[in-house]
Amino acid sequence: MTTHDRKRSGVSGRTLGLAISAAILFAALSLLSQSFLSGYTMFVISRQMAFYVLVALSQAFCLVVGQMSLAVGAIGSLATIVLGLGIDTWGLPAPLAVLLALGFGVLAGAANGWLITRLKIDSFIVTLSMMFIFMGLRSGISGGQPYKIPASFSFVGQKSLFGVPYVFLLVVLLLGLVGFMYRNTVFGRRMLATGGNAAAARLSGIATDRMVVWAHVLSGAFAALAAVLWASKLGSAAPETGDDWLIVSFAVAIIGGTGLNGGVISALGILMGSAIFMLIKHGLVEVKANPYYANSFLGLLILLAIVVDRVREVYSGKPKGKASP
Amino acid sequence: MASPPNSGRNTSGLRNEAGAGPTMLELKAVSKRFPGVQALDGVSLSFAPGEIHALVGENGAGKSTLIKIVTGLTSPDEGEIFFEGRRLCFQSYRDSLAQGIDVVSQEIQVIPESTVAENIMLDKLITRGKTGLIDWPAVNRAAAKALDIVGLPLPPETVIKSLSAAQKQLVQIAKALAAEAKVLLLDEPTSSLTEHEARTLFGILRSLREKGQTVIFVSHKFEEVFALCDRVSVLRDGRLVGTRRTEELTPADLVKMMIGRDIVQTRPAGPAASLGPEMLRAEHVVRAGKVEDANFSVRAGEVLGFYGLVGAGRTELARVLIGEDELDGGAVYVRGQKARIRSLADSLERHRIGYVTENRKEEGLFLQSPVRTNITVTVWNRIVRRLTRAVSRSRESAIARRMVDDLDIRATGPDQKTEELSGGNQQKVCLAKWLAADCDILIIDEPTVGVDVGAKEQIHRLIWDLARRKDKAIILISSDMPEVILLSTRVLVFRDRRIVGEVGGLDDGTRTYAEVSAEIGRYLH
Repeated sequence: MTTHDRKRSGVSGRTLGLAISAAILFAALSLLSQSFLSGYTMFVISRQMAFYVLVALSQAFCLVVGQMSLAVGAIGSLATIVLGLGIDTWGLPAPLAVLLALGFGVLAGAANGWLITRLKIDSFIVTLSMMFIFMGLRSGISGGQPYKIPASFSFVGQKSLFGVPYVFLLVVLLLGLVGFMYRNTVFGRRMLATGGNAAAARLSGIATDRMVVWAHVLSGAFAALAAVLWASKLGSAAPETGDDWLIVSFAVAIIGGTGLNGGVISALGILMGSAIFMLIKHGLVEVKANPYYANSFLGLLILLAIVVDRVREVYSGKPKGKASP
Repeated sequence: MASPPNSGRNTSGLRNEAGAGPTMLELKAVSKRFPGVQALDGVSLSFAPGEIHALVGENGAGKSTLIKIVTGLTSPDEGEIFFEGRRLCFQSYRDSLAQGIDVVSQEIQVIPESTVAENIMLDKLITRGKTGLIDWPAVNRAAAKALDIVGLPLPPETVIKSLSAAQKQLVQIAKALAAEAKVLLLDEPTSSLTEHEARTLFGILRSLREKGQTVIFVSHKFEEVFALCDRVSVLRDGRLVGTRRTEELTPADLVKMMIGRDIVQTRPAGPAASLGPEMLRAEHVVRAGKVEDANFSVRAGEVLGFYGLVGAGRTELARVLIGEDELDGGAVYVRGQKARIRSLADSLERHRIGYVTENRKEEGLFLQSPVRTNITVTVWNRIVRRLTRAVSRSRESAIARRMVDDLDIRATGPDQKTEELSGGNQQKVCLAKWLAADCDILIIDEPTVGVDVGAKEQIHRLIWDLARRKDKAIILISSDMPEVILLSTRVLVFRDRRIVGEVGGLDDGTRTYAEVSAEIGRYLH
């Protein structure tokens, strides 16, 4: 089911390959740029990586059960509005506003999951519609203006412990928990089984619909968490938060080895995926690539990740018949 | 058991049998192996022009593989195929169509949203010159002609999805006829036809014979084979048992050729069934359009056979029992208590009922996962460490290893990828997950489809032991009559969504296989 499933001890070949790719990129950038190895660059890079991981996880939770969420960024965006409304408009204490924002993420995910499983509508359609609904709400409510949040709120998003951003530490901890969940807990294993073969999972006594709902709930919660931390980093609750998350969420999750057909995820892989993604973006700035072409590079990168994976599959000789039924 | 008659390994022998007449289609020493199963083993067969040639054999005998090879859907590992004297090398199904070989498959393969005409003419749409634009009036005219031949009085513009199963089947036959194939394969074409429609079909096939075309007719129904076909070839366990003229053959001879012995395997030695309390009872169970008024009960230590054709309501009833499909009427009692089972999770957790699907690759297994995962998926929640909520690796491995040993699952170990196992061993894994979960009511659906002979006997032994030694209540769904008779204490016969008969006392040894099968057979007509 997972790469972990097969190789319990150590790291799977795929994740090792990702780590090596990340190391090569890292070495290349160190040689290319004097300032790369500075504490400041490391701080910026690791903090940005943390956000990529959160957004990728938000997508990966859905991919694992054989679903997808196009609403990842939209949920993040509207969660930002909820946070801003709570603090700026209603004058709530920050922790309460944070809880409201996270609660919104949970509810939005639950709504997605409920619509998908109860009404038996494809996740693509449901999350596509929800994306537009949320995007409209965020523009309508905010009028495009950012909300002010107190300076104290920026502690987590802007400070570091011995040079390591708090955001990064938090995300590594969460990633460890997620990895543990999928590898060891009944809940995680059942989600993997649901994505691996939904019919077999259901006929093995797994409540697959419930697993799908939970996957979307987790997805929504992580999108909202990413939004709250992003506001903390920015020092304001900006409505345009989440606009570029959709592509990032797929890119990092896929590069990190999350199976597009469900049933496969690697926490370490996602961390490596975010590193590769970040380093390539950074590298493009270093070589002064025209930023107007940035999206093309992103698209190419995703394609490359899928092709590499496909090539690996074919050469390991196992499920090559998959393309043709 | 008598040694099998000379199989297709002996090519020249078959030539003599087939006579020296002209051949339309000829297979020479064709072999095909799938993981775990030798589907075809050196089969040589020839089909003459102007004959209706029956192909019979039990489930898993290799008929469908042979059809796939002849139609280019799969390529043989060894051997050659000759069509009108030329060696064939198909790359795809289109190639075989172009050569003039067409097939009417058992499953209904139509495009539901398009019209009857479009389905019939799909592979030969008539265009206006070279413009690529479809000439619909011409297409409809051609389709109407084909419909007329099969006796289906429908306008060609009718949308397929509104048709009955029989009508769809006739559309498929019309499609094959419209192609004017030289070789027409029909795989169980009458399974969804009424008698009248079947008779019409036979008339058409006879007229094709008159025109010198070759008809290859796959069927389980002996009366059709004897009424319609000139010759019959029997496959067993991937080998050709022989080809005979039907007029020289009796149904009993044919059974013997198919099964390979007069009386099927003797029952495994063991104590006679000592039946325990009633475990599961169905009262007036209804599932709209699938099952009508099913009543039965099964006791501990009993194997209750569900026999009938595909679609007769057996699997459909099982799916209602386990909560996979909704109960539209009636009641189910488990261990004497009325039970409301809404999902397989309910049947597993509350009632300890397990279901081994007939479709192990699609619905039974996580093929990419290790054997361990597939065995323990039903018990993860029972072996959780209290503090961390993690599944205990050591207990998980212990359960998996015990099952691998108990059921003699041939794998390198519990960590081998399930996909790599043979069909028979995969089937054992499917059973193992319910045994691991301590289920004492087991519904086992077609347990030996696509497994080879050795594994088949092991699985039979296993089912026998589960009932006799472990006191499980077992419902055995099977279309394999020898299997049902061999293992069951009692058999329920299903036809047209109903239980139409019950044959009991199978284990008292007073009746022969032939007597029991005749008794079951009576209910099928």
